[in-house]
Amino acid sequence: MIKFKNVTKVYNKTIKAVNNVSFEVRGGEIVGFTGPNGSGKTTTIKMLTGILPPDSGKIKINGFDIKKNMIQAKSSIGYIADSPDMFLRLKGIEFLNFIADVYKVSDDDRKKRVSELAERFELTDALSSPMMSYSHGMRQKLMVIAALVHNPPVWILDEPMTGLDPKSSYELKEMMREHAKKGNAVFFSTHVLEVAEKLCDKVIIIKKGNLLYDGTLENLESQHLNQTLENIFLEMTEN
Amino acid sequence: MRLYLKFVHILIKSVEFSDDEKKRKKIFNTAMALIVLLGIMLPVSFFVGIVVYAITGGLTQLGGQEEGIALFLHLISAFSFVFGLNVIYNVFYFSADVESILPLPLKPYQIVSAKFTAALISENMMQFMIVLAAMAGYIFAMGLPIWSWLVAVLCMLTLPIIPMVYCGIIALVTMYFTHFIKNKDRVNKLTGVLTLFIILGIVLFCGNMSDFSTDSITQAIASDNSLLNVMNIILPHIRFIVSGVSGDILGIVIYLAINIVAVVVFLLLAELMYFKGVIGISGAGSKKQRSVDFSKTVKGLKTRAVSLSYFKKEILILVRTPAYFMNCVVINLVWPILLYLVYALQGPDNFLGKFFKDLSNGNATAGLIFIFCASGISVLITSANSIASSSITREGSHFAFMKYIPIDFMTQINIKASVAILISGLGMIIYVIIAGILFSLNGMFVLFTCLISLFSVIFASYFGVYMDSINPKLVWDDEVNALRGNYNIFYNMALSILLVAVLCVIAYLLFSFVGVSEIVLEIGLMIALVVFCGISYLLCKTRATKNIYETAA
Ligand SMILES: Nc1ncnc2c1ncn2[C@@H]1O[C@H](COP(=O)(O)OP(=O)(O)O)[C@@H](O)[C@H]1O
Ligand SMILES: [Mg+2]
Repeated sequence: MIKFKNVTKVYNKTIKAVNNVSFEVRGGEIVGFTGPNGSGKTTTIKMLTGILPPDSGKIKINGFDIKKNMIQAKSSIGYIADSPDMFLRLKGIEFLNFIADVYKVSDDDRKKRVSELAERFELTDALSSPMMSYSHGMRQKLMVIAALVHNPPVWILDEPMTGLDPKSSYELKEMMREHAKKGNAVFFSTHVLEVAEKLCDKVIIIKKGNLLYDGTLENLESQHLNQTLENIFLEMTEN
Repeated sequence: MRLYLKFVHILIKSVEFSDDEKKRKKIFNTAMALIVLLGIMLPVSFFVGIVVYAITGGLTQLGGQEEGIALFLHLISAFSFVFGLNVIYNVFYFSADVESILPLPLKPYQIVSAKFTAALISENMMQFMIVLAAMAGYIFAMGLPIWSWLVAVLCMLTLPIIPMVYCGIIALVTMYFTHFIKNKDRVNKLTGVLTLFIILGIVLFCGNMSDFSTDSITQAIASDNSLLNVMNIILPHIRFIVSGVSGDILGIVIYLAINIVAVVVFLLLAELMYFKGVIGISGAGSKKQRSVDFSKTVKGLKTRAVSLSYFKKEILILVRTPAYFMNCVVINLVWPILLYLVYALQGPDNFLGKFFKDLSNGNATAGLIFIFCASGISVLITSANSIASSSITREGSHFAFMKYIPIDFMTQINIKASVAILISGLGMIIYVIIAGILFSLNGMFVLFTCLISLFSVIFASYFGVYMDSINPKLVWDDEVNALRGNYNIFYNMALSILLVAVLCVIAYLLFSFVGVSEIVLEIGLMIALVVFCGISYLLCKTRATKNIYETAA
């Protein structure tokens, strides 16, 4: 579903944010993308979603090249950015309707998904008010609904748990599981290890733009016997 | 004191754009800034200086030579007040830095004095030049000695203080006592409406004066002192600086004393009132959430064509954001008022009156001028309302949205340009039709003028989007800041003015010296506009899409 091959990104000719990184995410997988602050997670995700052009390398989403078949590739993605503050003058329902139009979702589908998701997130009352009046968590939840309204084969999330209360964060994790179960790929970045530990089939660890590890958590733990995951992580990212 | 200076420095830097732009863009910006300075600021200042010079000369013979400059300084102060009110509210209470400044261990007067100074400097740069020019006119007319220039510079730097202190006090008191106004949107709407009313008032006041020449103004000032008397009560310091320029040391001392007292009173009030006012502020639109029937809400979900939906989103944001609504939409209503002002000041027998008479009589030359004016005004208002030239800038921190949705960039540019075309074009066409009815013009002629206006608007809209794509100002904390101090809008306007001027000069030369007929020139203009539309469309298609693709989000 996601193919990321030998991708490099350099900012302002000096900052190597992503250095020759390759990985793959298959359908049905939840992959956690982790690393310390400033390691290149957001940069990687921006290249995946077509926001940033890579300097070199190939990116394919759902079989479509993000550069050559830009529109099809982007249609296959549901993306949640690291900040949910956008179009705050719109009402929640207007925003969702707009997004559904952008991704060409049918009348029935959008009604069904929006009401189902809004009820799960307890956002039903808020939808008819402007997003300006939402709390950070409510905006984030609205973004989740917007990202899922077209049932995307690839779901990409940048630090999705920040600002969510325990219940919403639980719901979100459940949704990620369900979405993957249906055969879709879920790829999210986080600096909170516990989230990755409980949720992921696979983790990818990145540091200063270099790929450190790509594989299952069991495998990682068996390589470093008798160590907690946190210690392994600290050790890997320190040296 | 050092803390204060440092604080002011930081605040000013965050007001100006300080992106780490590439060198090429810096050179482009500097060149454009020079064009604006030399092309707009200097002529305006020069004009002001000449007017003050002439009026002071006239008043000297009638006695009361100080009244001209005094009235002018009052007028400038009134403008500082009108435009400062909104700025002060936003800077003191609603800017994004408030949240990070409040937790610092600073006293209210320290925060307020730094913010006040930063606002004073960044908002009054333009005014500094004009005040100095007026003073120069006065000094030359009175033949004052060299050192009076020192007083003039002092006046230039300190004149906006008292009007801005008034704004500050009003802001402090209203925010302290009322709950209603603790909302950014409401404040912006209120101050916007107030500004419109005051401008309208000035227009009507001027319109009442029969004609507009330095002679008649001189007469009016000399004969009627009531306005000046009222202003002298509201702004008591101005007469002292005026006598100060003429060498009255005591006047300068009193002027400075009044300023110091005003600032001290203001800072004392700030010490008492600022914190209570600023705490518990909501960004905007914090309506209480009513519980609504959710099934009804869901019924509102209806499929629409992508472009239409995108278009609607753009319009909703323009109309619902007070800063955009005022600066992009309402501004289209202002220029006919200004035109009326010019007409009223000229009187029916002057140039404009004659022109309209010729137009009604079907004079071909008048028709030609009308068409060229329609084209020029269309380009000017399309660039002045900045709907197109801030269309990418307005995306701000969520610019990335444009890039990850599955809509290609040219489609998005087309939609953004259409929004500008709709609002600017509709306005223009309505005005042309009104003119057609007023002067009972030929239907075909009106239709042709409408088409000319439409093509001018289309050209200016695509060109505006292209200009904004080169270097969009994506980092702003507040919608007012997205437009204010946005150099793209300024440059786009300067280039548009230049282009219109070139077109008109060419047409004038062809008409007067080569003797090309009116109809040929009109059709030539049409063809030129169609070509411009094509060029700006292609610029968007090839360059702007590439710029958007490459701009880091
Ligand atoms: N627009 C940008 N311009 C220049 N450097 C950037 C930009 N965005 C990110 N960087 C740099 O690239 C590196 C990776 O950043 P990012 O991908 O945001 O990391 P993460 O999301 O893992 O915290 C950091 O060193 C950051 O400073
Ligand atoms: Mg990040």
